[in-house]
Amino acid sequence: MNKKEFLVNLSKHLRGIPGEDKKDIISDFEEHFDMGKREGRTEEDLAKSLGDPKILANQLRANIMVAQAEKETTAINITRAVFASLGLGFFNLIFILGPFIGILGIIAGLFAAAIGISAGGITGLLGTIFSPLFPEYFNLIVNPAAGIFASIGVTCFGVLFFIGDIYLTRGFFRLFIRYIKFNARIVTGRERKDEV
Amino acid sequence: MNIQFKKGVLGLCTLALLAKKNRYGYELVNEISKRIAISEGTIYPLLRRLKNDGYVTTYLEESKEGAPRKYYQLTGDGRIMEKDLKKEWKTFVKGVNSFLKGGVGDE
Repeated sequence: MNKKEFLVNLSKHLRGIPGEDKKDIISDFEEHFDMGKREGRTEEDLAKSLGDPKILANQLRANIMVAQAEKETTAINITRAVFASLGLGFFNLIFILGPFIGILGIIAGLFAAAIGISAGGITGLLGTIFSPLFPEYFNLIVNPAAGIFASIGVTCFGVLFFIGDIYLTRGFFRLFIRYIKFNARIVTGRERKDEV
Repeated sequence: MNIQFKKGVLGLCTLALLAKKNRYGYELVNEISKRIAISEGTIYPLLRRLKNDGYVTTYLEESKEGAPRKYYQLTGDGRIMEKDLKKEWKTFVKGVNSFLKGGVGDE
């Protein structure tokens, strides 16, 4: 592999990375080749010592995606960071994707609970209001006023629960990014003897 | 040597080299790979991470030979990090060495 082949290969594997970062990365390696050649090393030798462009690209991608998700903690950025870190090796499939799916499950469950409670409150409210119109369908056992207030209370609780879930999700995502960072530092690259 | 072992100290080596003076990428790679067997490319993702985490900054400087070079410089946080890691490393090595020298008896 010569300089051009190395850079083309690297660039190919950097697909999906923002243009600015990509340009910056390529120029770092270009500089590396130029400096090495000035010292009398061949392009092939330099490319060989740099290592596999694909592994390098995966490491760089994971760094960039995690940094992005740290800066803007959105569901999309987190998902990108998770998938980028999967490229770092098999272990991450278990240690990152597994917990990520688990956390998504918990979040979905909490939101479902909030929506369920709100829906229950709203249904109770509508039921209490419309019960005099459809006596054959409704059989109220509580005072209508109590029913209305209780329903409003339940609805408000559901809505608050929902808002709380949003904060909780954000907190979960922040924690998870730190976890990915910690993990990526430990399990990076392919295990190969005598190489990092 | 174990890959994760080296991975961990690579950051310390880089910070330690930069604590002495500002250097450009090739220079860092060269200094480290002279003494430790690594895939040289790994230093670049590491440098980006250090920059992202605010431990180093970069600046371009013209060189006599033509194209400008990207220099890396420690930030205040980077200096603190370097000192902390160095201290941690020294304690760690001392601990490990005490076993290797057979200084701990069985009784």
